[in-house]
Amino acid sequence: MQYLWRTPGARDDAGQTPMGPSPLVVRGLTVAYHRKPVLWDVTYVAPPRGLIAVVGPNGAGKSTLIKACLGLVPTVGGAIEVFGRPLRKQRRLVGYVPQRESVDWDFPVSALDVVAMGRYGMIGWFRPVSRSHKEAALHALERVGMADFAHRQIGQLSGGQQQRVFLARALAQEAQLYFMDEPFAGVDAATERAVLQVLRALDAAGRTVVCVHHDLQTVAEYFDHALLVNARVIADGPVGEVLTAENLRAAYGGRPLPFEVAGA
Amino acid sequence: MLEEAARVLTLQAGFNTAVVVAGTAALGMAGGTVGTFLLLRRRALVSDALSHATLPGIAAAFLLGVWLGLPGRSLPLLLAGAAVSGVLGVLTIQALVRFTRLTEDSAIGAVLATAFGLGVVLLSYIQSLQVGGQAGLGHFILGQTAAMAWREAVAMGVLALAAAGTTALLFKELRLVAFDPGFAHGQGWPVQRLDIALMALAALVTVIGLQTVGLILVVALLIIPPAAARFWTERLGAMTVIAAVVGALSGWLGATLSALFPKLPAGAVIVLVAGGFFLLSFLFAPARGLAAAALRAARLRLALAEQQALRRLLVGGDASPVMRRWLAVKGFHRNGALTDRGRAAARAAERNRRLWERFLIDHPALAPATPDWGIAPIDRVLPADLVRVLEERAR
Amino acid sequence: MIGNMNRYSAILLAMLTLLWTAGPAAAQSKRLNVLATTGMVADLARAVAGERAEVSALMGEGVDPHLYKPTRSDIARLTRADVVLINGLHLEGKMDEAFQRVASSGKPVVRVAERVPKDRRITPPDLEGNDDPHVWMAPSLWVHALDAVRDALSSADPAGADAYARNAEAYRKDLTELDAYARRVLDSIPANARVLVTAHDAFTYLGRAYGIEVRGIQGVSTESEAGLKGIEELVALLVDRKVPAVFPETSVSDRNVQALVEGAAARGHTVALGGALFSDAMGAPGTYEGTYIGMIDHNVTLISRALGGDAPAGGFRGKLTLAQR
Repeated sequence: MQYLWRTPGARDDAGQTPMGPSPLVVRGLTVAYHRKPVLWDVTYVAPPRGLIAVVGPNGAGKSTLIKACLGLVPTVGGAIEVFGRPLRKQRRLVGYVPQRESVDWDFPVSALDVVAMGRYGMIGWFRPVSRSHKEAALHALERVGMADFAHRQIGQLSGGQQQRVFLARALAQEAQLYFMDEPFAGVDAATERAVLQVLRALDAAGRTVVCVHHDLQTVAEYFDHALLVNARVIADGPVGEVLTAENLRAAYGGRPLPFEVAGA
Repeated sequence: MLEEAARVLTLQAGFNTAVVVAGTAALGMAGGTVGTFLLLRRRALVSDALSHATLPGIAAAFLLGVWLGLPGRSLPLLLAGAAVSGVLGVLTIQALVRFTRLTEDSAIGAVLATAFGLGVVLLSYIQSLQVGGQAGLGHFILGQTAAMAWREAVAMGVLALAAAGTTALLFKELRLVAFDPGFAHGQGWPVQRLDIALMALAALVTVIGLQTVGLILVVALLIIPPAAARFWTERLGAMTVIAAVVGALSGWLGATLSALFPKLPAGAVIVLVAGGFFLLSFLFAPARGLAAAALRAARLRLALAEQQALRRLLVGGDASPVMRRWLAVKGFHRNGALTDRGRAAARAAERNRRLWERFLIDHPALAPATPDWGIAPIDRVLPADLVRVLEERAR
Repeated sequence: MIGNMNRYSAILLAMLTLLWTAGPAAAQSKRLNVLATTGMVADLARAVAGERAEVSALMGEGVDPHLYKPTRSDIARLTRADVVLINGLHLEGKMDEAFQRVASSGKPVVRVAERVPKDRRITPPDLEGNDDPHVWMAPSLWVHALDAVRDALSSADPAGADAYARNAEAYRKDLTELDAYARRVLDSIPANARVLVTAHDAFTYLGRAYGIEVRGIQGVSTESEAGLKGIEELVALLVDRKVPAVFPETSVSDRNVQALVEGAAARGHTVALGGALFSDAMGAPGTYEGTYIGMIDHNVTLISRALGGDAPAGGFRGKLTLAQR
């Protein structure tokens, strides 16, 4: 398939986005935990824009893929490029919404404090968080409907609210490429709507979002592209082409499918 | 006695006393400041291993001095040895966790005990050598506060300034790394180097505090003040300041007490004072203390009973005489029936209950960690769009 | 195995075994194995025993007997010794269990300091009825320990009783001369400077014997931590009486004494740091100060010179080297 390459955010006179490097290129990525291979020779070129879902069975390495793209887990082999350059040179352009469990909810920070952390990369070393950055953080909270809760300690928020705070933190980073680890998992209906709204707004603004998503039934509705993995890439491309019965059987390895697929 | 206490507290009871009181206050302040981030970074026990691991370094430094022909004990050499072996201990823990399947607490325990044991063995070996100048090596274990020299107190003052300065300069970086090291790493922050900076500060506090409170107790100055401070606030900045103050006060008061009463060993008294502050905070701090929590729980029970009574009265039921009197005080009940205000309150209570019930059914795992979540007005706890959804679903 | 060897090899093996065990036994039957705890007691034993015994000490130069914890090899040495001599009066505070082990094996543990008559011992009020063990500080008391050592050696080795008695008498003369020397030099200290401040209360007997007021920062045992109150009181004493010098000790950390100097300096009175005294341990083995006489000589000469008295730099018999520690 031919993709049109576009430089993030830029548009030429005719309103078309011109060609540019892909937001994410993964080449031959291999990751092992204690000598067990979790990801094996993963190669992927992300489309220039759109919402991309990373799907696969439990334990397939979806989270690990995201973390490897962010440089959070050591890799055995492979390279990762963000907008044509190695990851470590492009951190400014990458945002991250992690899974909710990995945080200490008793930590003495407010929602606003957490969102402001997304701005630290812009503030740089030693300088305190200025008023303008705090306002930007508040604005991000507004976009997720949490402005009224800016000064709550994060442990006092409901699960969905906590997820929205982390989303706001990523928005505050003002990145071009976002990685999100199961942003829809275990949240209430309103939060789900809020997250989806944010994703669509990011898409409209020309950003790329790569989401680990757990629910096959909503993938087609929420996302344009998909990447189906089970330790290795099974298929990637537009959602409809990826989620075929044949691909799903290959990925889920003969296990009963979570739902009926048309034409199975 | 009171007059004497006043003099000691204001540093007017003699040079030696003033040196000890001011020096230990500075040490306490440094410990509280650095310890806040150690505590939040879950490194409290690592700092205990650090302090115990200084013992073999002290003994080894002494032996090195003997071998090099240095006269007697050279304090800078001993402290340098302490610092080196303490840091080696921490690095060993990290290596064990990284390269083996050991959990962190087992690695900490192993290194702590082994290093300390090695230190004791070396001290025993030194005792058997026919060499002078070894007097006082064992005092690093429990400390000797009363004989603090002027330059030690100055070192503690400088340390306190350094700790405060570093914390202020790196506040947001330390906060980020303590809260979410994965995110920090993703943003490109050198998480490992920041951790090392924090441990270096902890090592500095440990080594400088060795002679005062001894290596067994110095971890108390790092951990107890921030633990106490946590009960008072939900804001990290305030917590750091409170921890520094608690640490300084512990040093100040502890040294004062040991100056007033002849048989009290100063190091232990300082730690006991810090423990006293912790107990006070645990019991009486308004934000998270036990008494405050009990008070809140009582208020909650009252609010619950009140809401239940209102709802019952609304549908024609009855309430106990005590409750009726309480409702009357609030203007909800008069002459045997609900007032208009009371009816409005009852309807609000009914709506609240229905919505919370809906929330519990739809999202059992998402309840916020506040004790009043089923009773507090739902509009104040959950975002407006979620409340709208619940309203629709509850219909 | 024995059955496999032929007769010649067996006889050869038996002879070699006999020679092997007989050799050291023969050597041992010549000299007594005497083990002492402190160097002072060992020195006493050497003076009395002369060539007839192999004397060694558990605690060496600079070791604090109040805090000394014995190792397994120490206990082995104690059980192997023929005669065990200790100071006693709880000086070796952490060795009670070791001594019990030795005593239960049938070998007597001779507490030489307890030979000092009860009425000549000092019982400080804060020691719960126990006596101050630092009896070696006054040669006039240490002669009693000399008797104890002589008797202990004589009962272990009756054949040498005469030699022991002779050596003891000769040494007693030395101690008497030392006592006279000490009295002379310490008497020469001017009245207002007759205050001896040291790291711990080891010198009470010396103070009583020669009329000097003695104060220690730590108590009789170095186990107790020095208190701020005590330090402040001593500083006040130093300043009020204009004491010229305070003295660290070789077996105790000098941190406390330094604090006194600083405290006095803050009040405008310069106190000199006198040379280190030998309190619970002697000097380096092989040197003059590594003997009992040298130790006391060093102490009284140093004290006298530092406090303004008149004492020869060469000490008692000109053998002293007053090096700064």
